[in-house]
Amino acid sequence: MGEAGAGPVSELTRDFWAAVERHELVRPVCRACGHNFFTPQIACPRCLSENWNYERSSGRGTVYSATVVHRPPSPDFAVPFRLAIVDLDEGWSMLANLVGGPGERCAPIGARVEVTWIERDGRTLPAFTEVAS
Amino acid sequence: MTPQQKRSDKNSLQVALDAAKLALADAGLRPTDIDGIAARWPGPGGTLLAPGSADWSGLLGVPISWIGDSYPQGVPALLDAAGAILAGQCETVLITGGQAGVLGGGRVAAYTQPGNEFVEPFGAYTAAHFALVAQRHLARYPDARQGAAAIAASIRNIGSSNPDAIMYGRGPYTAEDILSAPPVVDPFTLLDLCLASEGGAAIVVTTLERARDLRHPPVIVLGAGMEWMRQQYVDPARYEEVWSIGSSAAARAFGQAGVGPLDVDVAELYDVNSFEVARQFEALGFCEPGEGADFAQAVGIGLDGKLPTCTDGGLMSFSHIGWGAPTLKVVQAVRQLRGECGDHQVPGAEVAIASGAGSGAQYYNLVLLGRGDGLGQLR
Repeated sequence: MGEAGAGPVSELTRDFWAAVERHELVRPVCRACGHNFFTPQIACPRCLSENWNYERSSGRGTVYSATVVHRPPSPDFAVPFRLAIVDLDEGWSMLANLVGGPGERCAPIGARVEVTWIERDGRTLPAFTEVAS
Repeated sequence: MTPQQKRSDKNSLQVALDAAKLALADAGLRPTDIDGIAARWPGPGGTLLAPGSADWSGLLGVPISWIGDSYPQGVPALLDAAGAILAGQCETVLITGGQAGVLGGGRVAAYTQPGNEFVEPFGAYTAAHFALVAQRHLARYPDARQGAAAIAASIRNIGSSNPDAIMYGRGPYTAEDILSAPPVVDPFTLLDLCLASEGGAAIVVTTLERARDLRHPPVIVLGAGMEWMRQQYVDPARYEEVWSIGSSAAARAFGQAGVGPLDVDVAELYDVNSFEVARQFEALGFCEPGEGADFAQAVGIGLDGKLPTCTDGGLMSFSHIGWGAPTLKVVQAVRQLRGECGDHQVPGAEVAIASGAGSGAQYYNLVLLGRGDGLGQLR
C-alpha cells in the first residue's frame, strides 16, 4: 500500500489524472477492438491488446448502485458523504462520490448523473451529480 | 488460536508465533516435524519484510520443502498445503498468521482501506464496497434488510455466551437492536458488520496416515473450491456479477465430497456482514436466490437450530484478526468436528463448512471438512 491518496501511482494512470486536473473525464478505449474499460489496465481486458488510448467521456451515465457513508475511513472525510458506481453511457464504469442533486439524496439505482468536479485536499477529483433524465 | 482481544500489546509476528506454538502443541508435534510453511514471508521473490512476516524457516530452525506465501491463511492456504502434500512436496505444513499492535488511531483498520488511487480518494473502504452490493440486493428484495438483521442477532447471541469471544456478555440482541444501531454505510449499521480485533490463528495440515498417529482424531478435507473473480477493492464489485460468487466453488466442493448442503451440520461462514451470511446460503445452494434470510429463519441458525452458523460468534462477535481471520473459520470447524466445543458443541457434528472472503471482495472460497475416524461414513 503506497501513498495512493496523493496522486497517480503509475505511468498507466498519469494521463487520467492530468485530464482530471483539466476537468476532463477520460477513459481507456482499445484501438484494436473498441472496448471501453476502467480502471486502466496494461492491456484491453477484452482482447489483451496493449494498444489503447484515453478518450474523452461525455461524463453522462446511470447510477448502478449508491450508498451513504456515515462513518468515515479516516478523519479526513466529512460525513455523511455518498459513493456510487456509475455506468457511463460509453459502456464503462467507475466508483466516485455523488455530490449535489435533489435534496442531496442518495441517488436511486438507474438515476441519470453527469460528471462534475470537486476539490479535496488540494486536488481535483471527478464526482457525479444527478440530472434530470 | 491465541486469545482474541480488542487490542493486544504484542505485535503481529509474536501472535503468529504464539499461534504456531499452540497448533504444534495441539497436534503433538515439534518444529522439526514441519517441512512446509504457509505464513507471511517477504512474498514471492520479495526481499522486504512486511509487518508480520518473518524468515519462518530460519525462525523455526528447520529446512523447508514447500512455502505458501501468496495467500497464507484460511481455506486457500489449506488447499495449497493439501495440494503440495498430495504432490509429494512435503508432508506436514504449518499455516499461521494474525495481527496485533496494528489497530486504533481513529481510523478504520488499515487493511480495510486498500491504498488504491481509484478507491481511496473517494473515501471508500471494504464495508462500503460490500454496502454497494447490498444496496442493490435490497432494492430488489426489500425484506432482506429485516432478514439480515435477524441473522446478525443470531450470530451475536452465540458470541454473547462464548467466554472466548470479544463480545462475550454483550447483548442479547434482537433484529431491532441491529437495525437501530448507529449507521455505518447504508444499509449497514454497526451491528451488521464484523469486528476488527487482534490475535493469531494457526493450523497444521498433514496426511491422514500421519494424522492418525497424532493427538486428536483426524479432521479431513472432503472437498473444496475457490473463485478469484477480480483483484479485490480496485474495480468496485457489481452486484449482478458477485451476488452468486461461490456457487461454482460450492459445486466443486460438494461434488468432490459427494454430499450436498443438507448434509452440512455446522456452517462456519465468513460473516463480514449480515447480508453476506444470507448471500452464502443462496450462493452455496442451501436455498433459492433471494431467500437466504428466510432460509436462515426456517432452518434455525442458532446453536439449537438445524444449521448452527458461526458457532463461536463469528467475525461479528468472536473475532476478526485481519489477515488471520480466514483461519479462524477453519479452526472452529475443526473444533466442532472433534467435539471440543463444550456448551457451544453441535451434537454429532460430522460435516462442517468453513468459508472465506465474499461478494464485495470479489473472491470466495470454501472447504467441507469431515471426521476422518471412520465414524463419519457418508452416504
